[in-house]
Amino acid sequence: MTPSTGAEIVKLEGITKRFPGVVANDRVDLTVNAGEIHAIVGENGAGKSTLMKILYGLYRPDAGSIYLRGTKQSIDGPGRAVALGIGMVHQHFMLIPAFTVTENIILGHEPNRAILNLKQVGTHIGELCRRYGFTLDPGACVATLSVGEQQRVEILKVLYRGADVLILDEPTAVLVPQEVAELFNNLRALKAAGKTIIFISHKLDEVLEIADRVSVLRQGRMVGTVEAARTDKRALAEMMVGRPVLFNLAKTDVAPGDVLLDVEGLTVPGRGARPVVNAASFKVRAGEVYGIAGVEGNGQTELIEAIMGLRKPSGGTVRLQGQPVTGLTPGELRRHGLAFIPEDRHKRGLVLPMTIWENLILGFHRDPGFSRPSGLNLNSIMSHANEMKKRFDIRLSRLDNPVLALSGGNQQKVILAREFSHDPKVIIASQPSRGLDIGATEFVHQQILEAQGAGKAVLLVSADLEEVMSLANRIGVVYNGEIVAELAADQVTPQELGLYMTGSKRQSREGVPA
Amino acid sequence: MSDTTTPAAGRSPAPASPAPGKGRRLGLLPADPQARRFLRLQIATPFLAILFASFIGSLIMLAIGKNPLDVYFEMFAFSFGRIDSVATILFRATPLIFAGLACAISFRINLFNIGVEGQSLIGAVLASIVGFAFKGLPAYIHLPLVIIAAMVGGVLWAWLPAYLKVKRGVHEVISTIMLNYVAASLVHWLIADVFLDKSQVVGVGGMGSPRVRMPLIQPSARIPTMHGFFAHFGINFPSYVYVNWLLFVGIALAAVLYYVIWRTPFGYEIRAVAQNPDAAEAAGINARRQMFRTFLISGAIAGLVGLSDLLAFFGYLDIDFPRGRGFDGIAVALLGKNDPFGVILGALLFGFLSRGAEGVQVFSGVPAEVITIIQGVMILSIVVAYEIVSRYIRVQKKKEAQ
Repeated sequence: MTPSTGAEIVKLEGITKRFPGVVANDRVDLTVNAGEIHAIVGENGAGKSTLMKILYGLYRPDAGSIYLRGTKQSIDGPGRAVALGIGMVHQHFMLIPAFTVTENIILGHEPNRAILNLKQVGTHIGELCRRYGFTLDPGACVATLSVGEQQRVEILKVLYRGADVLILDEPTAVLVPQEVAELFNNLRALKAAGKTIIFISHKLDEVLEIADRVSVLRQGRMVGTVEAARTDKRALAEMMVGRPVLFNLAKTDVAPGDVLLDVEGLTVPGRGARPVVNAASFKVRAGEVYGIAGVEGNGQTELIEAIMGLRKPSGGTVRLQGQPVTGLTPGELRRHGLAFIPEDRHKRGLVLPMTIWENLILGFHRDPGFSRPSGLNLNSIMSHANEMKKRFDIRLSRLDNPVLALSGGNQQKVILAREFSHDPKVIIASQPSRGLDIGATEFVHQQILEAQGAGKAVLLVSADLEEVMSLANRIGVVYNGEIVAELAADQVTPQELGLYMTGSKRQSREGVPA
Repeated sequence: MSDTTTPAAGRSPAPASPAPGKGRRLGLLPADPQARRFLRLQIATPFLAILFASFIGSLIMLAIGKNPLDVYFEMFAFSFGRIDSVATILFRATPLIFAGLACAISFRINLFNIGVEGQSLIGAVLASIVGFAFKGLPAYIHLPLVIIAAMVGGVLWAWLPAYLKVKRGVHEVISTIMLNYVAASLVHWLIADVFLDKSQVVGVGGMGSPRVRMPLIQPSARIPTMHGFFAHFGINFPSYVYVNWLLFVGIALAAVLYYVIWRTPFGYEIRAVAQNPDAAEAAGINARRQMFRTFLISGAIAGLVGLSDLLAFFGYLDIDFPRGRGFDGIAVALLGKNDPFGVILGALLFGFLSRGAEGVQVFSGVPAEVITIIQGVMILSIVVAYEIVSRYIRVQKKKEAQ
């Protein structure tokens, strides 16, 4: 027992939850001690969120029991959970932008009086902030707050309702490093005040930094609970995946060649007067991965869509292998050797109800190899699909099942197979590992580095700093639609990137030479 | 139809789903036992829904004091026990096949062309004009010309809503419904004023009134009946029922459309755009262009709807020319799950119901409206049943993959 842990406050015993076709939680036991920060880690689909939703009363378990402070409880809804002192901060904020911090916090729990004295409530909330060291103005309108501040509002909401046990679902996923540091300070203050925190994450570095104990879930089962001080990243990852994991990707050192993708002064109009992408310029060379880092919603999506011909830029040029291609359609760009891994594979990458083989030829269905004047050449399509299945290790039972039947990792492999198999020159990979488990992420990263090693130009957009830093050779940071800095990946720290990402700092002149 | 139903409607059709596996391309049934089970289930669905609708119909018949078993027996006996009934069913199904195909192809790409009615009227007008205006042409030139004219008419009337949809984002349901009214009035004016046949000899000694119709269509543009063809098989249809070669054209068209949808890049693009226009666009498919083209194809097929009545039966276009086929086509497409062969079955079912309704009205004293109610319940229950089954199959397939 570490000094910070007290008596056990939450105990889950033999929790089982089945969904059609899946056992999300399989006889899971978990003990959380009062006053500790307890991390729950596991890959996507390991059952972390399900387990927490059971504790918060959003799901009823099929079997098992929940004990709180030693008493068996039946938690039949979030209302009951709140009454028992359990609060949950969801990954996606549930705030009303037009309301102030105070109004948002009391929403649903307004003081039961005829006249709402917001000033009095505001004072109370101000006290809460001071007690836990939260920097937040109770009177501020939520729409004006940063993501980190909004998250603090969510945490305050839970505290206001009198929670002793706080569940935080992937709280760092939306934050930049500086905000993560501040969140961790807040969590430590809460812990010092005797609160218990259950922290769901799959980012092992953070877990090791903040947690006292770590419980690992794998495929719905509890693998074990370890003390954070007595384990390391490698051991945790192995517990999560069930096999040793490579962390250091082998970047091939290729002398960068010609500029294959040249974006110059690209501007994309937004809804208001300010453009969403403002005069973005960068060059990506053959054999290079150029990373675009930035907090989501700073124009990355629009930038990529403008390059891909999916959105009309109002100014600037895009050149592929020296040829101007601004304004060409996505189909024409493909013929110029541009491949595209979209950020939202369900929206832009796949036609979910169509079969796997049909998705494997999407966009290439009119290639002479796949189609003849008389119609689709099913023989050659099927042999291509089978080849892709082997080469990209797509785990599937039947090629004519709809692609929606595949797991996220295998769906991404379908996209990789399609985009990489037609010898592209330039690859645009947008959030390529989003929502994927460690194994699939590894695979995607390997493919990207292989492409880089083979002399392709890769433009990588990712909200995951670790991903950008480990894959890219150079990094451009976007803030408010502008590229505010360009840095060599091996000469920059996450903290420094964080400063650029939040707009606290910007480069005065051109970045590193391409 | 909400978009929750469209992925289901877009999935493999019931009778013969797309067959990528080698065995499936040759044989009719898939080799995989699970796929075979799903296929059986999908085929059973409409029949179960029809049974359910018949049950509701039975309740109504009981309520008006009729024995449903007797009525259904009469309906079947009248419809299938008489050769003229069989011929009538085929004749009535013919325009519905075209109307159903026109709707189905537009539904396939998530466009709800409610304007098949108007497009078919304009098609009939152009066909009629070409049919009476050209004289002395041989049939093998005149008849194809008339058919092309009908398609051009349908395309013309589909062009505006297609253009507005793709370029201006005007919802096609609104524009096509409005254009149906415009078409109805326009056709009325064209028949009653512009092209009125004034050469009609009215009654004996000037008594009676002339028909409000266009001039008679030239014999060279009339479509022959299929009586001779069926006679080869020992089936002798009575001469007063006009089963004609458009039935054959409709079936052939269904086969062509089936092939286009499932086996050509063009059909592949229709399905991709229908089920995820964003992904299709990112893959280089011009979604708007594909919608536009498909809309026009739908209009072209819609133009053919009136031809069976015009060229085989009446021989002229008058203001009482049969209406409502375009709307029946919507129901037929729904019944057929937007599958071309399903449309044929749906059209035949409608033909049977309308003939059977006449039978029970005359011989059982049950108002034909009761059959209309059954028809309505049937459409509703089939649509619901399809959705249930496709959701079930989706869940099963997902389970299997995990």
